[in-house]
Amino acid sequence: MSLTKGAWAALITVLVGALCLFLEPHVDWLGKWPAGWTLPVNDWISQGLGAALGILKPVARFFAWLLAFPMDGLTWLLSQSPWPLTIASVTALGWRLGGWKMALLGAVGFGFVLISGYWLQSMRTLALVFVSVPLALLMGLAIGILAYEVPRVKSGVNVVLDVMQTVPTFAYLTPLLFLFGFGPVVGLVASAIYAAPPMARNTLLGLERVEHDIREAAIMSGGTRRQQLFLVEIPAAANQIMIGVNQSLMAALSMVIIAAVIGGFDDIGWEVLLTMRKAWFGQAFLAGLVIVVFAIVIDRMSATLATQRKAFDLRISGAIVGIGAILSFIVNPDSTSYAMMGGVAASVDTAVGTFTANNGAALDSFKNGAMFYGLLPLRIGLDQAVLPFTWGFMWQPQYSLWLFGVAIALGAVLAIKGRVAQGIVLIIAVGILETGIADLPWPFVLIGVGALGWMGGGWKLARLITILLGTILLAGLWERALLSLYLSGASVFACAVVGGLLGLWAALSKTAWAIIRPMCDVLQTIPLFVFLIPVLMFFQIGEFSAFLAICMYAVVPMIRYTRHGLISTPPDMVEAAVSSGATRWQMLREVRAPYAAPSILLGLNQTILYAFAMLVIAALIGTTGLGQSIYLALGQADIGMGISAGAAMAILAFIADRLVQGFAEDRRKALGL
Amino acid sequence: MSKAPAIEVEGLWQVFGEKASDILKEVRSADTRSIATALQDKGLIPAVRDANFEVHSGELFVIMGLSGSGKSTLIRCISRLVEPTSGAVRIDGEDILQASNSRLIELRRRKLGMVFQHFGLFPHMSVADNVAFPLKMQGAGKTERRARALDVIKLVGLEGRESAYPRELSGGQRQRVGIARSLAVNPDIWFLDEPFSALDPLIRRQLQDEFLNIQATLKKSIVFITHDIAEALKLADRIAIMRDGEVVQIGTPTQIVLNPVDDYVREFARDIPKGRHMTISEVMEPVGDNPLAGDWPELRTGMSLEDALTQCAATFEAVPVMDGDGKVVGQVRPESFVKALGSEAT
Ligand SMILES: Nc1ncnc2c1ncn2[C@@H]1O[C@H](COP(=O)(O)OP(=O)(O)O)[C@@H](O)[C@H]1O
Ligand SMILES: [Mg+2]
Repeated sequence: MSLTKGAWAALITVLVGALCLFLEPHVDWLGKWPAGWTLPVNDWISQGLGAALGILKPVARFFAWLLAFPMDGLTWLLSQSPWPLTIASVTALGWRLGGWKMALLGAVGFGFVLISGYWLQSMRTLALVFVSVPLALLMGLAIGILAYEVPRVKSGVNVVLDVMQTVPTFAYLTPLLFLFGFGPVVGLVASAIYAAPPMARNTLLGLERVEHDIREAAIMSGGTRRQQLFLVEIPAAANQIMIGVNQSLMAALSMVIIAAVIGGFDDIGWEVLLTMRKAWFGQAFLAGLVIVVFAIVIDRMSATLATQRKAFDLRISGAIVGIGAILSFIVNPDSTSYAMMGGVAASVDTAVGTFTANNGAALDSFKNGAMFYGLLPLRIGLDQAVLPFTWGFMWQPQYSLWLFGVAIALGAVLAIKGRVAQGIVLIIAVGILETGIADLPWPFVLIGVGALGWMGGGWKLARLITILLGTILLAGLWERALLSLYLSGASVFACAVVGGLLGLWAALSKTAWAIIRPMCDVLQTIPLFVFLIPVLMFFQIGEFSAFLAICMYAVVPMIRYTRHGLISTPPDMVEAAVSSGATRWQMLREVRAPYAAPSILLGLNQTILYAFAMLVIAALIGTTGLGQSIYLALGQADIGMGISAGAAMAILAFIADRLVQGFAEDRRKALGL
Repeated sequence: MSKAPAIEVEGLWQVFGEKASDILKEVRSADTRSIATALQDKGLIPAVRDANFEVHSGELFVIMGLSGSGKSTLIRCISRLVEPTSGAVRIDGEDILQASNSRLIELRRRKLGMVFQHFGLFPHMSVADNVAFPLKMQGAGKTERRARALDVIKLVGLEGRESAYPRELSGGQRQRVGIARSLAVNPDIWFLDEPFSALDPLIRRQLQDEFLNIQATLKKSIVFITHDIAEALKLADRIAIMRDGEVVQIGTPTQIVLNPVDDYVREFARDIPKGRHMTISEVMEPVGDNPLAGDWPELRTGMSLEDALTQCAATFEAVPVMDGDGKVVGQVRPESFVKALGSEAT
């Protein structure tokens, strides 16, 4: 009998798993990587990097000193400028960029900030964003142009950008804290660094997409290389570059808010953190809303740069600013006297309080249900999760035997029907459920992931990801990595199911999409941090809240890509199916779904990356694993731990990314796309 | 007085791939085919294979071939948009493969103009700015640029659209802008890479006619690329036919239609109504001993077969053919018509 590639991979994995299962009671090092075998990577990094950073420190301090000027200046300007003038300026900018719609958005948005009572804090945040973004844009533009102009450095630059975007946000902060010292400059630099890659990527992409004929026309017009680049290619790529500006702005805002965990600067992110820690959820909610409003205003206005070609009449903008200036003399300049939302915050508090009091039992049973029957077994396995306290009875060793017996029987049935790979995968899945992800023997994980890599991208990928995983093992981060893997795995699985269904629904019904779409838009604009507030309100600190926060954030790409894949079947194919008499469901199953597979896989890929990004933020509200280590390292200024845990996290994200991309590529090839 | 041809291409090779130039030197052998095969075996792409031809001053030289036959690559070698792997290209006697970068820029600013299949218009510039761009590169002043741009815009019939942006124009209008831009600096040599292929047939015909009119007044030396034999026959003074990177035949439209060198060329010429492209002189024979007498339709040497046929549809005998001065230079027999036209059907 000849086996498919998938069946071979599954077979090898299941054999290694079975071997581990039998040997584990006798061989200690199979289940748990012995401490004696780990390398003191943390110390090496601490010492090596510490020394290197020590040399850089004076330069960095000088840089920090230099950066303090524009930052203090802008902070002063924004906090001292009378609020009517600021709101009018934003409105005027909105008008100029996008007509009355954007003007209205600016006025209403900043009006809300005023009455929220967080005006001053918001202006400080804004000052940070507006100092860091020009830095990010310049760096990004320069990197993008460099990669475009010097093909030799392009792949290197791409790798660096990949790494910069997969390294979790918190991990940036520890070394920067060491370099720049305590203070808002860390947030500034971190956000400039974090916001540069999207600009660089879009610049490169835009330049590469400039039509061949346009490029050659510039050459044949007799332009020098510099003239070609600056007069033709960059302007021709302007739309893509503006998308970069938009993404860069959003990244900077997100990072500025995250950097508030360092403290020391009374900005809006700090306000959220503070109120959240004190469990003042009404206030936290309000401050969170301010961030959301900021994000939406900045996002929508900068998005018009990429889409709108019309510039609106500057005179009207001038008039709006003029009115603002006049108003500044008339109204009370004290922004705090307009805080009208205190009542709202209080009533949110009471409402949540009443709700949780009245529905506490229901909320608890929801949470416990999910924990006991979903998350816990996945984490520590049925053999440990099934207790009288949770399931009402005690797991016995013979249950495991029964479970495996049934799984093997079912697997055998599938194998006889010719679906060998599926049969073996079923056995593997049951095995994982019985053992728990956190307790999986390391040889099994290494071989299993390696086998997946072999299926998705051949020997090269298999070798690469096995080695990368091996470094996590050697660095002694294995257990934490598995914990992270478990929580992100659970979230991704939930997102895949829920997001896939929502995407399907949105593809089938226009009304559904009309409802889901604005929600997706908002969810994608909100800085990561803010997702923590609502889950905390209802479910307190803990793994389940983290799980929910991750899901809320990571579900969006799954919805979008699923829908997009399902609705973008080429019309010819649809017509061919219709004329062959396919019903709606047959069409969906036989035509649309296979065609959508690569797109859905890409959505899954995005979802995984989003989940990893959020996992680290969720460490704030109680998760174990690498995210927690990164967060703790920040608190203790432990560079070694911060970097190695951050790197481990990036490695996991990288592996997931490559695997899914590999499978997506496979599907695309199979479809001839 | 012998003037150098406008363009001279000699032994030109363009091979894509790693270390192409070294490998090409190694495999040098007698015939093109075997070199090409050897290159392909090493994973290289010989896109242009030993091209040799010249374009005379004021000549409209058309390069024709199927898509992928290397036409674009060839014209890009001549304009040095790609670096040829080996061979020589002389423009007005100057070897431009040896030209320095600054010399190349100079040539492009003064002497060369190019039109692209997908127009290559700068999306962020108005029509006038697009057309004036090469002048800006020359360093011409603003008013001068404007004036000259308006002239060429008028020449291509786009008056009144100067301030439109490319996205607001139809395909035909866009290519008019492309043509105007390539003519802005009044180049001596004009490259057109499938300029009309992306257009609808009707617009295409219209632009071809206008193109011929423009050329009639400007008399540029032109390299024009097309994959459409009808277009080639309509426009060309001479045609070069390419297959798999090789120039397989060069000749006037008539020569191509009448004497295709191989099946590839014959296949092209197959669907061409030959009567329209062959002239009487092609089928006439010397007048026999007994002078032709009678009341003959007036056949002239330059007449197309189609026209001649309508003139003598009712004749069954040989008809005399006269040259431009009315002197009898030969005769045609009805069978010659039938034979010439009939070969189409086979
Ligand atoms: N930059 C390049 N690198 C590799 N191969 C190329 C490149 N440009 C063209 N080719 C190949 O050279 C051959 C000729 O292409 P081209 O000159 O564009 O043909 P045409 O213009 O006649 O359609 C094609 O097989 C094409 O794939
Ligand atoms: Mg071409």
